[in-house]
Amino acid sequence: MDVYLDYQSAKPVDESVLKTMLPYFKQEFGNPSSLHKTGDKATTTLEDARKKVANFINAPNPEDIIFTSGATESNNLALIGGAMRYKRNGNHIITSEIEHISIRNIVKYLQREGFEIDKVPVDQFGKINLEKFKRMIRDETILISIAIASNEIGTIQPIREISKIAQENEILFHTDAIASESSLPIDVHEVPFDMVSLSSNDIYGPKGIGALYLKKGIRVNPVIIGGGQEKGIRSGSYNLHGIVGFGKAAEIMKKEMPSETERLKKYRDKLIENVLETIPNSYLNGHPSERLAHNAHFRFDYIEGESLILDLKEVNIAAATGSACSSKTLEPSHTLISCGLLHEEAHGSLLFTLGRYTKESDIDAVIVKLPKIIRRLRMMSPLTPPDLIKKYNEVKE
Amino acid sequence: MKSTQYTEKVMDHFRNPRNVGVIEDPDGYGKVGNPVCGDLMEIFIKVGKNDENKETIEDIKFRTFGCGSAVATSSMVTEMAMGKTLDEAYKITRNDVADELEGLPPIKMHCSNLAADALKAAIDNYRLGSDSEVEVEGHCKTIDIKVILGLDEFEGKGVYKNVDDLEDFRNKRTLIVDTGEESLELAMKLTEYTGRVILVTPSNKTPGNDDLKQKLKFSDVKILRESELIEVKGTTDVEQVIIHDLDEDERYELFVDSVIILE
Repeated sequence: MDVYLDYQSAKPVDESVLKTMLPYFKQEFGNPSSLHKTGDKATTTLEDARKKVANFINAPNPEDIIFTSGATESNNLALIGGAMRYKRNGNHIITSEIEHISIRNIVKYLQREGFEIDKVPVDQFGKINLEKFKRMIRDETILISIAIASNEIGTIQPIREISKIAQENEILFHTDAIASESSLPIDVHEVPFDMVSLSSNDIYGPKGIGALYLKKGIRVNPVIIGGGQEKGIRSGSYNLHGIVGFGKAAEIMKKEMPSETERLKKYRDKLIENVLETIPNSYLNGHPSERLAHNAHFRFDYIEGESLILDLKEVNIAAATGSACSSKTLEPSHTLISCGLLHEEAHGSLLFTLGRYTKESDIDAVIVKLPKIIRRLRMMSPLTPPDLIKKYNEVKE
Repeated sequence: MKSTQYTEKVMDHFRNPRNVGVIEDPDGYGKVGNPVCGDLMEIFIKVGKNDENKETIEDIKFRTFGCGSAVATSSMVTEMAMGKTLDEAYKITRNDVADELEGLPPIKMHCSNLAADALKAAIDNYRLGSDSEVEVEGHCKTIDIKVILGLDEFEGKGVYKNVDDLEDFRNKRTLIVDTGEESLELAMKLTEYTGRVILVTPSNKTPGNDDLKQKLKFSDVKILRESELIEVKGTTDVEQVIIHDLDEDERYELFVDSVIILE
């Protein structure tokens, strides 16, 4: 049996989401922009899905939801569109040291375009340093983008405080909610977000569709220009089957989240407790308690992450690593380095992300198989200290 | 190509590595790589003689910390070298190992294909009694300081080769080049005067000795690792610098008010 514990990378589409989508490939193929009956029907469908997504984050006006092609586009629209719109007010943007790669590369681009970027450092658990954050704010600051939680180590940020500080300073505040979308409720009514990036696949909807919540009154320049759909903010023919699926997925997630996170937390804690207890020189990355319900991120001394992934693959377990050897740049995870880990420590990291279809038996499989894998790799590593090798030799596998 | 898209042969050597372990009291020992970069391998050899009275590799063992290709290349090189004469074994190249494994993903060719170097180091160690730890070029990058354009032109106009009064830097965006411990200490001191101190270092980790490293990590100094300063620009005074990102081999501009490069 395959054990899939890499939900942060991709999620399957929920069965009832798929069913809802199917008619929109053939029978209900209309374009909401058309004026005939088929078009009108499509408009109703589109607006119904928009309401569902708005409801998911408690947005008061459905029209504040702008559909995009996914999380990356939403981030581009928020940051590039926002920076270009407000550049007359200043050229300074604040983000954090541990943002998702899409945010990192967007601000890198903006930096080349003349914007100044400051990244708020984090503590060893990956939490934003609020004092340093406050000190970074200047008169020229026009935009702040900080994710609700880390996609890698799962640490949850004090987002309410961060957004309040942004609001007090009258600075546009964007959050990338993707990592936490399936396990932390978002309430834009309660927390004063100006922009929120959302992804459909991260709540078990189809890939290729996402949204940007844009609070009433906030304007951004479009990054995709064309026929003027979505109030001219995001042109392009509507991906109606995707939008319908996203709406349904949002509806289900809103309902299921409390019980789902309760269950995942139980599994997560079981996994963390067992791994730390049974495997010597193993550590948890990220915050011990303020972490996403589906995230268990470990580090093991003396071994390297890609080897771990390959060995896990052999026993049909899917996981992820922040090791350099698995990346395109041969650089270890910037998030782990920002948390103060040494390069050699970051290489030995292993990330499990749980999801809707995770069973307790999946966790049990990891608990049984992982120690053996770690032992095999440590037995051939020149870094493993002799006393640990001796200990391994004394106990039978 | 994915960095983990390995051939069946690589996977076989990764799953069932040949000749893993340690030779107690070896005739030759070689070690290459560095855990910071993510690869470290050791090779142990025992030397014997064949019928023609030529020195051969009678036994060979390895230990490796690293990714799939690091393990597989180590295993493969031991298999290739076993029983060969020292002269033959010495001729095994990184490419030979990769070919024998039916190829490696391009990104792994340079970083995780050090086994042939480890073998050479072990043979050298036996023959010459040389240092068995070898620095391998192109692995973790080593950088030579090149000529920085505009440095002399802007001296006294934002470029400092020595620092007398830290007050000069109050609230200035200051870039400081890592020229050793003195520059690291200065960078940290400067954070009391300005919130924007950028340290440029060619190293891929936080520079300095353990104590400095720790302090730097928790200081407000922004560190640009694996980077070098190439040019200082401005109209009359320093306005911006060009930084070379050594990792991505990319150049970009940074706006700064002053540049410190201690002599």
